[in-house]
Amino acid sequence: MAGSKTILFVEDDKPIAEMYARVLERQGFHVEYAYNGAEGLRKALSKHYDLILLDIMMPEKTGIEVLGELRGSDGKGSPETKIVILTNLAQDKTSQEALKAQADGYIIKADIVPSQLAGLISKLL
Amino acid sequence: MKSTRFKRQTLALFFIVSVIPALIVGAVWYVYTQTTTLNFLFLDFNSFVLPVIMVGIIPAVILSFIFAELLTKPVREILKAAIRLSNGDFSSRFGTEGRGEFGEINHALDKVGAKLQQTLSQANSETALIEAERGKLHTVLNSMTDGVFALDRSGRIILFNKAASELTGRSIGEVAGQLAEKVMPFRSEGELVMTRFLALGAGKEHKVGQWKGLELYRADGHSLTVNVEAVVLKDDPNGIAALVTFQDLTKVHQLEEMKIDFVALAAHELRTPLTEIKGYLDILDTEAKSLTKAQKAFLVQAISSANQLGNLMHNLLNVSRIEHGELSYQPELINYRSFIETSEEPLMDRAIQQNRILTFHIPKEPIPIMGDPSALREVIDNLISNAIIHTAADTGKIDITVEIDRHSVITTVSDNGVGIPASAIKHLFTKFFRVNEYKSTTHGTGLGLYICKSIVNAHGGNISVQSTEGKGSAFTYILPRHIVASSKSGEDNKVTITRGAHGWIKNHPVR
Repeated sequence: MAGSKTILFVEDDKPIAEMYARVLERQGFHVEYAYNGAEGLRKALSKHYDLILLDIMMPEKTGIEVLGELRGSDGKGSPETKIVILTNLAQDKTSQEALKAQADGYIIKADIVPSQLAGLISKLL
Repeated sequence: MKSTRFKRQTLALFFIVSVIPALIVGAVWYVYTQTTTLNFLFLDFNSFVLPVIMVGIIPAVILSFIFAELLTKPVREILKAAIRLSNGDFSSRFGTEGRGEFGEINHALDKVGAKLQQTLSQANSETALIEAERGKLHTVLNSMTDGVFALDRSGRIILFNKAASELTGRSIGEVAGQLAEKVMPFRSEGELVMTRFLALGAGKEHKVGQWKGLELYRADGHSLTVNVEAVVLKDDPNGIAALVTFQDLTKVHQLEEMKIDFVALAAHELRTPLTEIKGYLDILDTEAKSLTKAQKAFLVQAISSANQLGNLMHNLLNVSRIEHGELSYQPELINYRSFIETSEEPLMDRAIQQNRILTFHIPKEPIPIMGDPSALREVIDNLISNAIIHTAADTGKIDITVEIDRHSVITTVSDNGVGIPASAIKHLFTKFFRVNEYKSTTHGTGLGLYICKSIVNAHGGNISVQSTEGKGSAFTYILPRHIVASSKSGEDNKVTITRGAHGWIKNHPVR
């Protein structure tokens, strides 16, 4: 089931991206990577993804900016794609911004282990 | 001038007084020297006038000058000294060498001089002291970083310190004598706030007023946020009717924001390595198939410690946010029953993992309350964590009971653990407090219950504990129920957003 789902992982910290990817791939997801915000946005616009995992603090564009551009000012852009923020920024302020910009989730990396993330994604997709 | 007239008068007096005897002496001398009566009858210049002049008048004139000089000299000296005195020169004394009345006058005048000098130097030193005090006051007023200004009875500015001038961009000359309300209008949401305070009580009673976060426009049109304190004085002899102090909050706010940003950034930086520690331990735990029993135990211990570190950071950050008032609660109408139900699964998982028996007792009907679900989840999480820590594996029993009465919803988390010593109960909800007896055997930060209390109180509720040492504890928090007039009962919205301490996912609880 999970095998048909494609995930775009936008994360500038390679070891972290690889760590999650290992578990997600073992669960049967197809995972593609982008290592900065701009690259992430370009890839997200070039084809369909079922889920985009977005880090926030990245060079070129922040995850919130990528989210904003994907969802658009009306918040209705890319309706077929779930977008989940995956960050270590735990401020209410940022979490609220993501909620307003129509993110589907906001997850604090340090509070969740890869197997839990895989479980959540399975439920979400 | 006076001294010359006095001398002239004295000279004239001596002259008259001495010329008459001189004439008599001259005449007697003439009679005595004349041998014949005829000669006596026919006066001639040489034999009469010359001797009179020579013997009588000349010595009389000379003596007059000498006496006049002797007599007027001390008087003139006194006058000269008096003039010097009147000019403020106290250095020259009158001299006490004079005899008789002059000596006494000198003496008396000397005393007057000394007294005057003393009084004057006293007055001078007092003036210097007042000047110094004025200088100090001036320095204090103008070194203050808070703006200060004073008003007279008519509400006009009579004092304006340097900070007030710098903060408002208005010079002292510009505001002096102006109505404070016009040049220093403090507003809250556009409304003038101090007019009544400063007008009603002026001079009638002493009172102090404080305002926070008022707006004040600078001369250049920029606005400042200020805290203001005003004192209305009763019958001030210096004509000050009110004194106003204002503090610019811009810098305070900036500093506060920097501190919050720093804590957030530091927390972010700490979480990054923790993410990898926890993540790779998780991968190891899932993938390592041939671990010995001991190796598996090491791994479990490492995972548990990494989680503890995560909780510690989480709680420390929460406390820092509570203290900065940054932890914003967003109360919304929620169904408390559904809220507890969504917590059931993750909490059950945790209890099973730790070999504790967790039982839920929840009423069937919806329980509408105004609450922030993510904050309330913190409360439940912390109470369950405590219950797990203080009960024994395998025998530990934890119950979550939700009851309702007319006005409130009562949640109790009870356990059959070690309990709390009576002496510790009153400190239990304070920051960093940990029960001494368990410090060595359990891990904790002493922050969890402090956070619980802050959150419950912010929801208008209260939290308490009942405990018997050795038998167990029961933590109870009471939240006000939301009384709804309509049929709206806080039943779940179409989209429930489960915001938790651990982020949120639309429609799904996280963990």
